[in-house]
Amino acid sequence: MLKEVAAQIAGSAGPANPGDLRTLDRAAAWRSLAQSGLLALRTRDGGSPAGSGVEVAVVAEALGAGLVPVPYLGSAVLATELLALAGAHDEAEALAEGGSRTGVLLDGDLSALAVLPGDQAVYGWDVDGADGALALTGVRGGYQVVRVSLETGFVPVPGADLTRALLRSDGPVGEASPTPVGSPLSAEDLSRWEALALTAIAADTVGVMRAAVARAVAYSKERVQYGVLIGSFQAVQHMCAEAYVQAEASASAVNYAAWAVDELEPAEALLAARTAKAQCASVAREVTETVMQVFGGIGQTYEHIAHVHTRRALTDRQVLGDEGVQLLRIADVRLTGE
Amino acid sequence: MDYRDTPEEAEFRASLREWLAAAIPAGWDKIDDEEAAVRLRKEWHRTLYRAGYVGMSWPEEYGGRGLSPVYDAILNEECGNLNAPPLPSVGYIGRAVFTYATEEQKRRFLPPLLSGEASWCQGFSEPEAGSDLASLRTTARLDGDHYVVNGQKMWTSGGQYADWCLLLARTDPDAPKHKGISAFLVSMTEPGVTCRPIVIASGEAETSEVFWDDVRIPVDQRLGAPGEGWRIAMTTVTYERGPADIGFIANYRRTLRKVEAIAAERGLLDRPETRKALARAYVRGEVLRLNCMEQLSLRVSGRPPGPEGSVAKLLWADAEQSLQHLAMDLLGADEMTGVAADWLSSYFTSRPVSVYGGSAQIQKNIIARMLDMPR
Ligand SMILES: Cc1cc2nc3c(=O)[nH]c(=O)nc-3n(C[C@H](O)[C@H](O)[C@H](O)COP(=O)(O)OP(=O)(O)OC[C@H]3O[C@@H](n4cnc5c(N)ncnc54)[C@H](O)[C@@H]3O)c2cc1C
Repeated sequence: MLKEVAAQIAGSAGPANPGDLRTLDRAAAWRSLAQSGLLALRTRDGGSPAGSGVEVAVVAEALGAGLVPVPYLGSAVLATELLALAGAHDEAEALAEGGSRTGVLLDGDLSALAVLPGDQAVYGWDVDGADGALALTGVRGGYQVVRVSLETGFVPVPGADLTRALLRSDGPVGEASPTPVGSPLSAEDLSRWEALALTAIAADTVGVMRAAVARAVAYSKERVQYGVLIGSFQAVQHMCAEAYVQAEASASAVNYAAWAVDELEPAEALLAARTAKAQCASVAREVTETVMQVFGGIGQTYEHIAHVHTRRALTDRQVLGDEGVQLLRIADVRLTGE
Repeated sequence: MDYRDTPEEAEFRASLREWLAAAIPAGWDKIDDEEAAVRLRKEWHRTLYRAGYVGMSWPEEYGGRGLSPVYDAILNEECGNLNAPPLPSVGYIGRAVFTYATEEQKRRFLPPLLSGEASWCQGFSEPEAGSDLASLRTTARLDGDHYVVNGQKMWTSGGQYADWCLLLARTDPDAPKHKGISAFLVSMTEPGVTCRPIVIASGEAETSEVFWDDVRIPVDQRLGAPGEGWRIAMTTVTYERGPADIGFIANYRRTLRKVEAIAAERGLLDRPETRKALARAYVRGEVLRLNCMEQLSLRVSGRPPGPEGSVAKLLWADAEQSLQHLAMDLLGADEMTGVAADWLSSYFTSRPVSVYGGSAQIQKNIIARMLDMPR
């Protein structure tokens, strides 16, 4: 049910080619998501989330598959979950209604939520239509969520991903501007948040990969060379099969991580999330490149959709840490017991 | 094979180095504007030519110097070492003209091709004829002392900047598909030629589609005999795949130096992981270079390039693409946040290397056939 609704919205709000990104009605897509309750999944209902990690992953995958250019991850998942964990329920509700949007601030290398004040520029990631973004600041015994206005001190930058808005701060974000939101977070809260965030990003990547592979397979059933469909060449079959295997392996890892978000202890959920993110980050580049290869010359052009998959997947890979970052943390858990 | 320079080669290398050090235009690799970059490459072509470094292995009567192709390899190496602009790729189109042209055509077309006065593009592929080039549909109908060309070409790289085109068109619709094709030398300024740039994923207008509407070509601009187009095309792509003719060794070396510099700037040089990855990139480049050198020396001893060019093409695509992967891994998020936008662009430029000049899959098919495997 949820899956169908998400897929339907994604189907009408996703680009068929890059040119559509200029004309798509993003506001309408956002309204549909709000009206279907999909922006409210991580608001709290009597203390527990309205929707599970599994449901979030389903929506994230569908929107990734559609390359939908709306800040579902930024606003409805990453920011909303932070607000909910901090007990800022009114703010979370406001985002769920779709009237306002809030993004997140990431470190210069996109690998973590920004901790303010910092000494370097930060990025507002997935901030289309957002007037503010959330970050952390250290307080005694943990972290405090803070809100930074994006109205001044940030400039839009043309990132690799053509489907998400990116802003860069003019310089380090100081003490003056951030406003505390809700109550401080414990280390456990942050682990929960990170588990959900990593899983949702990985789910987006799975959507991107699966849809890309499906497009390549469909093309191989239309494109004729040497008087036959190119899908009948074993070389093309193997390319598609290998990409498919990697996408499906990634989906399995994400499915487990999505379940773990609400069902397991934070540390275990986080390990599952890192596993999924490491897997997705390690294969996404090759999978989307293979898809471009199956399309031959046309798949190399700007006007073709193939590179939009690649660009979104490559960016997902970096956000909250690439494979290398995840592997080192996994090694810490496995080998050092940290 | 003796890998040492002969005394003449060593002398050539030394004087080339000295010349390059003074001649390389400062800041050439900082130019952002596409047209300015094209102008610079044309100008560099002429500079190289005036100094005698273009077409060194070509016969003197057509503007060359009659030297062994080893000199081209030395040029490639030194240009790569000294970060010179890309070398002009006169080789693969020029060789086809050289092999099949009449004496008169050679005298007319080769000198300006080598000197850089006239630049060329290759009009082979069509929307429906990519890997299966022989199914091309553009027609050239004989009408008195002219051919009249109609059709659409796609992926004509540099078409928007080229003066001339080596064009394939079907002259005999009734002949078997490989036999009915002829090749032509056509001016891109002819009435009826319309070129539309194609922007690739890197954001650069690398290639183009060209529409041919009732374009009239004098019969004496047909290259080779009627129906010989397929053979000419195969000669061209074999040279295109083949070593040293397109300067990729120089480009690879130059890029590797830059990637090493990125690692140094970012303080990553003491990570064993990074050191190994950079060394592996060097090994890939060396393997490619040495394979090409071997092929070249066989060519010096008279063997024409053949299916083994596919080995070099696959090694090249792999080296180039792996090097861009390494750059991306070292740059991390910077390549995604616009901080290193030029590297993201280079990354996307490396992707079609496994598509043009025959895709990686087609090269493997050729190698399997060369190995005489069951079909
Ligand atoms: C940037 C760029 C520059 C180019 N420059 C030029 C140029 O200057 N002049 C020119 O004439 N052409 C040029 N080309 C065209 C290029 O040679 C073709 O794109 C290429 O031959 C592939 O053809 P296609 O794009 O139609 O893909 P297709 O032939 O449709 O191939 C699609 C997929 O099917 C696979 N495939 C096809 N047949 C087989 C088979 N028999 N066995 C196994 N797999 C197969 C391919 O490997 C590919 O993965 C250029 C292309 C690009 C992208």
